[in-house]
Amino acid sequence: MKATERLGKVIDNIEKVIIGKREIAELSLVALLSHGHVLLEDVPGVGKTMLVRALAKSVGADFKRIQFTPDLLPSDVVGVSIYNPKDMQFHFRPGPIMGNIVLADEINRTSPKTQSALLEAMEEASVTTDGVTMQIPKPFFVMATQNPIEYEGTYPLPEAQLDRFLLRVKMGYPTREEEIEVLARSQSIPPIEELESVLTLEELLKLQEEVRTIRVDDTIRTYIVELATQTRRDPYVYLGVSPRGSIALMKAAQAYAMLKGRDYVTPDDIQHLAKFVFGHRIMLRSEARYDGITAEELTERIIAKTRVPVQRLVNQ
Amino acid sequence: MTSIRKNKVFMGLLYVLVFFLLSEWLRPVIELTATGHHRLFLAFVALGLVMAFFDVPWWITGPLKLFYILWFIVYVYTGNLFFTAESLAFVVEQASISLSALFSQDWQATTDVFRTVLFFALLWMAIYLIHYWVSFRLSIFLFYLLTVIFVAVLDTFSPYSGDAAIVRIMVIGLLLAGLLHLARWMERHGAAAKTDKLLVFSIPLLLLLVASTAFAFYLPKADPIWPDPVPYITSYSGKGGVGQGGVGRIGYGVDDSQLGGSFVSDDTTVFRAEAEEGQYWKVEVKDVYTTKGWELSEEDADEQLYQNGDEVTTDFPPASEERSSALVDMQLPFPFVLYPYGTASFLMEETLDYRYDPVQQRFDTLQENTAFEPDVYEVFYSEPSYSLTALRETDTEQLSELPPEYDRYLQLPDELPDRVGELAEEIAAGSDTVYGQAQAVERYFGTNGFEYSQSGIAVPAEDQDYVDQFLFETQRGYCDNFSTSMVVLLRSLDIPARWVKGFNEGEVIDTVDGYDVYEVTNNNAHSWVEAYMPGVGWMMFEPTIGFTGASSIDFDLEIDTSEPEEEEMPDRPEPEPEAQPEQPDTGAGADTGPTAGERFLAFVSEQAGKLIAATIGLLLFAFMLFKVRKKWMPKVLIPYYRRKEADAETFEKAYLRLLKQLELYGIKRAPGQTLRSYAEYVDSFYGTKEMTELTAAYEKSVYGGDAQSVDWPKLKESWENLINRTSG
Repeated sequence: MKATERLGKVIDNIEKVIIGKREIAELSLVALLSHGHVLLEDVPGVGKTMLVRALAKSVGADFKRIQFTPDLLPSDVVGVSIYNPKDMQFHFRPGPIMGNIVLADEINRTSPKTQSALLEAMEEASVTTDGVTMQIPKPFFVMATQNPIEYEGTYPLPEAQLDRFLLRVKMGYPTREEEIEVLARSQSIPPIEELESVLTLEELLKLQEEVRTIRVDDTIRTYIVELATQTRRDPYVYLGVSPRGSIALMKAAQAYAMLKGRDYVTPDDIQHLAKFVFGHRIMLRSEARYDGITAEELTERIIAKTRVPVQRLVNQ
Repeated sequence: MTSIRKNKVFMGLLYVLVFFLLSEWLRPVIELTATGHHRLFLAFVALGLVMAFFDVPWWITGPLKLFYILWFIVYVYTGNLFFTAESLAFVVEQASISLSALFSQDWQATTDVFRTVLFFALLWMAIYLIHYWVSFRLSIFLFYLLTVIFVAVLDTFSPYSGDAAIVRIMVIGLLLAGLLHLARWMERHGAAAKTDKLLVFSIPLLLLLVASTAFAFYLPKADPIWPDPVPYITSYSGKGGVGQGGVGRIGYGVDDSQLGGSFVSDDTTVFRAEAEEGQYWKVEVKDVYTTKGWELSEEDADEQLYQNGDEVTTDFPPASEERSSALVDMQLPFPFVLYPYGTASFLMEETLDYRYDPVQQRFDTLQENTAFEPDVYEVFYSEPSYSLTALRETDTEQLSELPPEYDRYLQLPDELPDRVGELAEEIAAGSDTVYGQAQAVERYFGTNGFEYSQSGIAVPAEDQDYVDQFLFETQRGYCDNFSTSMVVLLRSLDIPARWVKGFNEGEVIDTVDGYDVYEVTNNNAHSWVEAYMPGVGWMMFEPTIGFTGASSIDFDLEIDTSEPEEEEMPDRPEPEPEAQPEQPDTGAGADTGPTAGERFLAFVSEQAGKLIAATIGLLLFAFMLFKVRKKWMPKVLIPYYRRKEADAETFEKAYLRLLKQLELYGIKRAPGQTLRSYAEYVDSFYGTKEMTELTAAYEKSVYGGDAQSVDWPKLKESWENLINRTSG
């Protein structure tokens, strides 16, 4: 079976549970395939948890959930060594981070210390406690959620930390029809229980390897860099997209191309993903806020005015 | 939907107009090729159009037309109105001759009958084509344009004058094009083709046409901004000549109504004359001055017909019974004979008539009432001599007693500025004889700073008088300026005068049996003056500086005349190149024998302004072509890419070309728009899937780096289909 068909099945699977959120499912899969993590930003009750669970079930992965609270400690995330009086030794008890797919719920409600513990684990794919470094099992995928409504008693993630997330996705409410369908489905047994895995972890790891081989032409690289440069130059922008952001866009585009059954990236992939990759990486000036411009809108503007490369580069 | 094509009234009108347009093609062809039976050809065209109009099936029209052609041949070539056994035998014989000539590729041996049949075939095709254009395409523009070009070319390069034809064509063509546009418009909008509706819609068209035609007709017309290219071309090839059957424009112009302007030289030989002495060779005279040039008055005169050897009567009777003879060997075909002063008779090998028109004073040569172009003829003459005594007695009082037939030689345009007359009075003051006044005028130019030149000669502006401009402003010109001015000045003094055209003596190139052989080229085309001396008769004058033609004066006075110029010069002067305005002439004399390169350079330097104008015109044309490139580019691109190697590179180029074409067509791609979304838009616009298909292949080739996957031969069809749509 081809990669795209397998991945298509995963998405279909998720769609059985989450109605009308195919794009979000695709983006989650893109992040999963390119070793990235997703920041889901939305109000409670739109199915964030359900999405992650469905994804975990579809790929037969170990699902963990961490509910962040203000009193959560880093050790509550990464694990703690506990002295065992029997053998008089410290034994490491892994925290909830040691899973394949981790849902970090309401990440902005915990202290920066705990946040950074999580983010470090995300970046390194390993945890270090008491001088011992432990690899987090692969694949490792964190989906953090952030509630944009509550500001009381929250610790907004610093911009540098946000860079660790490959994509920032906003879930949004379902449409009228979709919501009616949601109601209809939830009357019976919760469908999530019936989900079966359609992809093994080994297959997933293999696909992750395969993503790296997706061809990114020089024209596309130039295009990505051009977009990133534009964000740095824009008068509304205080801090533009870092080179890490450019790399993130390229990697995400590779995964997306695979999802779409291609072995090469096209400008369409870049355009589709740019606002999810760039959105949380751009720091806007206050003028932008006065003018009511969001980072996503700014990205779209930049895309609209940046010339898409349509010709083979001459020196190729 | 009732098709406009079913409205018989409307279509009938179109066919009538088409008939007129076609007849404009027929007219010059028949005139130029001296083909007779114009009406019968027109009838054939009419027959063809009528049958096409009524949609007569081909198996009726074909035989009918063939029958008509057969009948035409029988009627024209055998004179029988009906088929007889004899006439049919003639047709069969002709057919066998022509066929055998065809098979043996002996084109010269084909008969006139065969050519007639070919001409009919051509007409047949033309009728079919037009029928197709009008009935199916509802478009006539191409044919209209071709007609205009055809007539314009004929007008320029042949004796055919398209002056009236071009007006007719414009009116018919515009009407036809307008009506067809209306028809197309109604077709497209599905409007019911009712006659009354069509009429209403046609009213603005008709009004516009009438208004613009009337306006254009009465507006003054600008002079041609480009000199007649014919002499240059023909002299270059050494084949200058007039077309058949008419008076040529080369070497010798017929239209003198617009004088002025520079010209380049043309040393095509017109004729050679063996004569004892050099002569001025007269062709004709003109008597009406129009402020811009010369025309012929429409005076009725009794034309005289002379045979070979007949004594002719002109205004210049031979001086004595002792005749000189000159043998003239024509190199260019002219349908008239050139004659020296004092001509008595002509002799030619052929039997023909010399028709002399006393108004125009030209000897047309006719053979069985059709124009004939003499090859070699002999002319007998005795140069008139004028008694100086008589000339000294020409009293200005006598001028008022002249009979009314001299009035037309006194004609002057009302617009002639007063200062011309004042100048004439001034010049004539001090001479009390007519001859003295004429001489004063003749000499005036030589002593008052006038300059002889063929280049940089002004053309009078709309409100300017040709003579006035020369006398008071430019003081620079060639024979036409001098001769016309002299005539006008003489007429201002009430001396009857007229303008003469012809050739000067030319150049001695050889001597045969004591006779000099003069070669006369187009550069020797000349104009001079004839004035009437009361009591003496007509006399020629040569006002042009540097030219020495003059009447022979009999010094029968016992006074010491200080007028050496009146004498016939014994030694021939260097002939200066001279020509009519129609035949451009360079400053370089014929005797210096300029090379082609020099002539070209001279042409370029003299026409610099016009060449620049032409270059600008060409650039404008190129710009126009560029502007409408979306229309014709696909026609060029498709064959181009068909021939190219079928590889990925070609495909990519072709694809990019398609993008450009689409852009030209108006489907713009925003800078940030990806090819795929653009392709979807294009496909939704055209209702196709082809652009998406092509784009996918292109993306795979460029972004995917997989050029091998491109199957250009397969994609070509989609590409051609799309690019064809962009030309719509």
